[in-house]
Amino acid sequence: MHINWQLRELNLKIVYYGPASSGKTTNLEQVHQRVDPAHRSEMVSLKTYEDRTLFFDFLQLEMGKICGLTPKIQLYTVPGQVRYAGVRKLVLRGADGVVFVADSAPSRARENLVSWHDMVSHLLANNLSLEDTPIVLQCNKQDILGALALSDIKYLLQVREIVCFPAKAIYGEGVLDTLKAITRSVMTKVQRQTATV
Amino acid sequence: MEKSNSEPSIEMPRGLQLSPSQEKLIQRILDRVLVTCPAQFILLAEISGQLISVHGEKGNTDPGALGALVAGDLSASQEMARITGQYQHAQLILREGSDTTTFISEVGEKMVLYMRINKEEPLGWARLMILQACHALLEVISAPAQDVEKLELDLSEEQLNTLIEDGLDSIWHD
Repeated sequence: MHINWQLRELNLKIVYYGPASSGKTTNLEQVHQRVDPAHRSEMVSLKTYEDRTLFFDFLQLEMGKICGLTPKIQLYTVPGQVRYAGVRKLVLRGADGVVFVADSAPSRARENLVSWHDMVSHLLANNLSLEDTPIVLQCNKQDILGALALSDIKYLLQVREIVCFPAKAIYGEGVLDTLKAITRSVMTKVQRQTATV
Repeated sequence: MEKSNSEPSIEMPRGLQLSPSQEKLIQRILDRVLVTCPAQFILLAEISGQLISVHGEKGNTDPGALGALVAGDLSASQEMARITGQYQHAQLILREGSDTTTFISEVGEKMVLYMRINKEEPLGWARLMILQACHALLEVISAPAQDVEKLELDLSEEQLNTLIEDGLDSIWHD
């Protein structure tokens, strides 16, 4: 979080994390497509020639004022492929919240688990704890045959209390709900932190 | 200088909080660099990519996106240096183009400075200006702030949630 007092802006960083091809970039593309251009930046994507995320995708949203401050929400994705672990750690720097985009295909269960543990270790490497970092779970690709239920994915990741949404991000379903939930969690945390200062 | 392959990861600092007076001092320092260098454009961002300040002619550049990319560029360079055992503090990345030269410099552990100058400007002078600016910026953020403004979100959790819901709904179209 960074507050620019002169411009009265509250800058927040939210990172979409998850295994390769789980739909992190698709989430940002849907946000980019559906948010009024006056309230968002252009989307920046650093991709490989195979159209896979190499470094990160970036998109900034601007909401109406809250208590005199304009929230600017910066959305990032990480590259999901295993070989880019170092990059994922860098993108998590200074994150205020994380959306974990799980792939609901039964065949991707292991990748979800590996990515979750990878996220936990990179949060720790960035001095962020799992307990103190707002995290929302999105179970994407719920439209595929035999998709895992939300409860199955939560059980797999061993997370019971986490806020969780089903999604079909490619159709835009569940994208806004997820974004609202992580923004609420991050802002609530900011509010609690400032109340105790 | 640290040159060991077994060096632990670079410590990742948490968010930077600046007071209004610190923001003004930062603005003054960078305005001065803009004139004395002279630079075309200067951007200061937090190491996480969050924008702190912009100066000069930004043209069509989106400062938010540029801040994210500059921080990413520096992070990648730091990591490259670290894994090859060449990490040094106060790293400076230089890119010479046909018309302009850009510099990306660490400002301590928490900030990154981007500066673009005309190709005709002497590089040594620009580097000296950047170095001085980085020192001055570090002094500003390391001095205790006298006028720390308190962020007051004087709302119930329910009110805050409603504002966020409405705020996002109002910019969203299906």
